[in-house]
Amino acid sequence: MMSISHAKGSGTSGLAWRIFRRDWRSGEVKILFFALMIAVTAMVAIGVITDRIHRAMGEQSSEFLGADYTFSSPRPIEQSWVEQGRSNGIEITETLGFSTVLSKGDKFQLVNVRAISGKFPLKGELEIADKPFTSGMKIQGSPELGSVWVEPRVLSLLGAKVGDKVDFGISQLTIAGVIVSGPGQASEVFNVAPRVTLNKQDVEAANIIQPGSRVSYGLFIAGELEAREQYIAWLKERKNTTQRITGGKEGTPALQASIERAETFLRLASLVSVVLAGVAIAVAAGRFSRRHYDYAAIYRCLGMQIAQVHRLYFTQLSIIGLIGSALGVALGLAIQQIIIMQFADYLPKPMVPIDWVPVLVGALSGLVVLIGFALPAFFQIARVSPLRVLRKELVPQPLSSWLIYIFAIVAMALLMWWQSGDFKLVGILLGVALLAYGLIRLIAWLIFKLGVWLGKRASTPIRYGLGQLKRYPAFTISQITAFGLAFIIMLSTVLIRSELLDEWQNQLPEGAPNHFLVNVQPQEVELLENILAEQSVQTAGIYPMVRGRVVGVNDQTLQEALDERALTDGAVRRELNLTWMTDVPKANQVTQGEWWVGDALSQDETKTNQLSIDEKLAERLGLKIGDKLLFSIGGIEVAGEISNFRSIQWDSFQPNFFIIFQPGALDAQSATYITSFHLQQAQKPTLNTILQQMPTVTIIELDAIMAQVQTILEQVTRAIEFIMLFVLLAGIAVLYAVLQSNRDERVLSATLLKTLGAQTKFIRTSLVAELALLGLFSGILGAIGGEVLVSALYKNALKIEPVLHPWVWIIVPLIGVVFISLVGWWGLRGLLKQPAHQVLRQM
Amino acid sequence: MMLTTKNLTKTVNSQEHDLTILSQVSLTINEQDTVAIVGASGSGKSTLLSLLAGLDVPTSGQVMLAGKPLHELNEDQRALVRAQYVGFVFQSFHLLPGLSALENVMLPIELKEQKNPEQQARQLLEQVGLLERLHHYPNQLSGGEQQRVAIARAFASEPKILFADEPTGNLDTANGEKIIDLIFELNQQLGTTLVLVTHDDRLASRCQRVVRLEAGELVDDTAQEKAVQEPHLESAAGHS
Repeated sequence: MMSISHAKGSGTSGLAWRIFRRDWRSGEVKILFFALMIAVTAMVAIGVITDRIHRAMGEQSSEFLGADYTFSSPRPIEQSWVEQGRSNGIEITETLGFSTVLSKGDKFQLVNVRAISGKFPLKGELEIADKPFTSGMKIQGSPELGSVWVEPRVLSLLGAKVGDKVDFGISQLTIAGVIVSGPGQASEVFNVAPRVTLNKQDVEAANIIQPGSRVSYGLFIAGELEAREQYIAWLKERKNTTQRITGGKEGTPALQASIERAETFLRLASLVSVVLAGVAIAVAAGRFSRRHYDYAAIYRCLGMQIAQVHRLYFTQLSIIGLIGSALGVALGLAIQQIIIMQFADYLPKPMVPIDWVPVLVGALSGLVVLIGFALPAFFQIARVSPLRVLRKELVPQPLSSWLIYIFAIVAMALLMWWQSGDFKLVGILLGVALLAYGLIRLIAWLIFKLGVWLGKRASTPIRYGLGQLKRYPAFTISQITAFGLAFIIMLSTVLIRSELLDEWQNQLPEGAPNHFLVNVQPQEVELLENILAEQSVQTAGIYPMVRGRVVGVNDQTLQEALDERALTDGAVRRELNLTWMTDVPKANQVTQGEWWVGDALSQDETKTNQLSIDEKLAERLGLKIGDKLLFSIGGIEVAGEISNFRSIQWDSFQPNFFIIFQPGALDAQSATYITSFHLQQAQKPTLNTILQQMPTVTIIELDAIMAQVQTILEQVTRAIEFIMLFVLLAGIAVLYAVLQSNRDERVLSATLLKTLGAQTKFIRTSLVAELALLGLFSGILGAIGGEVLVSALYKNALKIEPVLHPWVWIIVPLIGVVFISLVGWWGLRGLLKQPAHQVLRQM
Repeated sequence: MMLTTKNLTKTVNSQEHDLTILSQVSLTINEQDTVAIVGASGSGKSTLLSLLAGLDVPTSGQVMLAGKPLHELNEDQRALVRAQYVGFVFQSFHLLPGLSALENVMLPIELKEQKNPEQQARQLLEQVGLLERLHHYPNQLSGGEQQRVAIARAFASEPKILFADEPTGNLDTANGEKIIDLIFELNQQLGTTLVLVTHDDRLASRCQRVVRLEAGELVDDTAQEKAVQEPHLESAAGHS
């Protein structure tokens, strides 16, 4: 019936392009475009930075470990396993570990031998010096045949110096250097015997390993990500329960919590930047579509079919999407490069390259946000009736609001999950969003109440301003939602950032202990205190330490009392460091039960000694308050009753103990003492004094590692500061977009007032009153929502104790009032100076 | 016959009862007729126009435009009829602000996929005296100029029938005169049927027929033998 041919795709896209260009010039699509660009820029920049820093930190953790992974086994490792790795391009260094005695003349010393063949360490470096407590050369390799590297105290214990010969089995080795720092130091705090490193071939020559010797066989493993993960998976399938694989992060327990929190923060920041961008896009798209109803009605009047109008606007949306995403990707990559260059000093060199996955995720997320948040608004445009050319009040039948919300929420949730891979975070954010929605309804209701109240009291212009809010409730609510959401997100980011930084500052304050002394004899404690006092070195306390093994629970043997899983726990399979204390130690908190008062009544046979146990250990072993534990200490049995559980901050660099007895309980046992303190570089010679006067003391130097920990925390801090800035910028973009989106309506109503003879002062007062009230309500929403979000995240994602921030309740509404009224007024100021008829013609 | 209606009725649902805006209107408009629809505000003029042009559908009754039963067609089918047969001139011009004068006029030609849209559009703009203003955007044109662009656009698709809704309503007397001259001149030149809604007696008097509505009912349908037909081309093509 209809014979004429109609404009097909090409005609429409030409038109779409022309309209896009013109809309661009007139600023129509700019907000939409910039919102998208900010979204993509933020996601790409944050995604790539997080990914690169994450991988770089993995590299640094590997340096602590000396490899990407280590493998240890009490029996010789199948050579075919090693071959399997090497044939896949994996670097593997084989090691042997065992205890033996080194001697020089009449002096003997038990040492821990690490025998190496080939490159060592695979990640990071060994620092070898020719005098104790000086800096040395950084190397990767193994000692030459016939030579040995030793810990400083070996020299004082044997009365030797670098270059001397020592006896090792049936052969002799030359001391070629002193180990200043190297992999694995952090986890060797409690090794009593000092470490020596030598060439594996010398072990065979020394004929030192006999059948029955306790030898630990090890592999240091490093390689490209994919190949090594495959190999590790392959090993995991074959290893037995006595064999252990340790990964990079596990090598640095002190950093693990900090890094995990930082990563959570970064993931969160990238999520909220998506939310902000989504809001900005939704707001901008809403404005765009409202402004285009008229045009769509004209197109329809001129005979365009609905599908053609859809195509016209979807083409425009695609142009915006493609160009906005492309520019966002470019800008995001540029920004991340600038940031990475800022960190260059702190990051491993060469820096890990960009992985394209986060870039792609960023670009695609931008499009998902655009589709999820702009499509419903764009879809409306073509549904406008052509009759609107005659009756301007006609607007398209709104889509079911539930449909739009569900669409947007699903798009958002999928996106967040994709971006973060973290269900919990997404859940928290969505939960807070729902709560915020409830609050918004409440605030809307408050506006009406306040309106009634003010109606009787306020001056006319203020009443008029409030009236504007009351007249268009849907409009007011949508503005408060958008402003409030922006405030919630900005506030949470600022709060979390500052509390994370405080936490880290507390964890590693200036002067945190960086040296441990172990194996101090009771009669040496006073001497040690004197030496340290002379050098004005403060200790974190000198604690007694007794090594003992748990042998029974509640008058039963372990086998009877514990389940199968608990029986494999390391804590019941080896000796534990036990101590006694009067007070709860620093960095510990009693979480259940009561700490004791006073000493144990060791004379009173009827009373059992009280003890305190790490809550995690208690949970693993299934122990309760009141359970009785039996220990074997040097062959003597000591019983104790659990009176409380403690949480322990293991990354505090303080001496920490799983089990603490009531003072007096272990008096019969011979104890050694342990302490930690902070030494500056200039105070290092103190260590020589200590070793000269008490040669059997073990000194563990953690200053190099702690400096590295500090560096990592510093770089994460900077990343977080930068990303917070980004979130704030995105938030301001949202505020601006929302103000822009309602500008027309405000100008129109102000101009009408003017034509009715209102003075500028009246108009200004009513406009500012309207804007200030919007700012106040969204500020209140922001403060409440922000507190809730932050508390939920602290509790569930960041593992920080939630606190309230009373200052926020004043500051945020205040900022809302000032920012929104100032910026809003500023944007309208120029237009209000123009003659009314000119403004009306431009509308 | 270009356009016929039979018992055309439009009611809308208001809160308490149904409101009849147009009741049982039957009329016939022949090709090249010029018809003015007049009446007081709220008499149903614009509603009748919107039904005749297929912008809206009647509650009951029939509208046949160029043989097509608009009352039976859906939105898109009516859009096709509009694209093929109908041109519009509105009181508030309704130019697309995103497009220049030239682009606005090209739009319907492009929609019909005719050849040389730009050349045709230029010719039309020349005819309405806006050759100098081809690349101006609507907000850079005066009201009279905007309406002339709208007229050029309305005739660009070579419509069989032109609907005009208060085409002089937003213009001063001098500009209004020019627009009236222009519409009738182009109308005669292209042999278009013209249906216009107006308050303006001068405008109504130029039509062959005047249809009067009162409270939604057709009360008068008079042929005007003395309709002023002569064009004032010189003044219309002049500068406003």
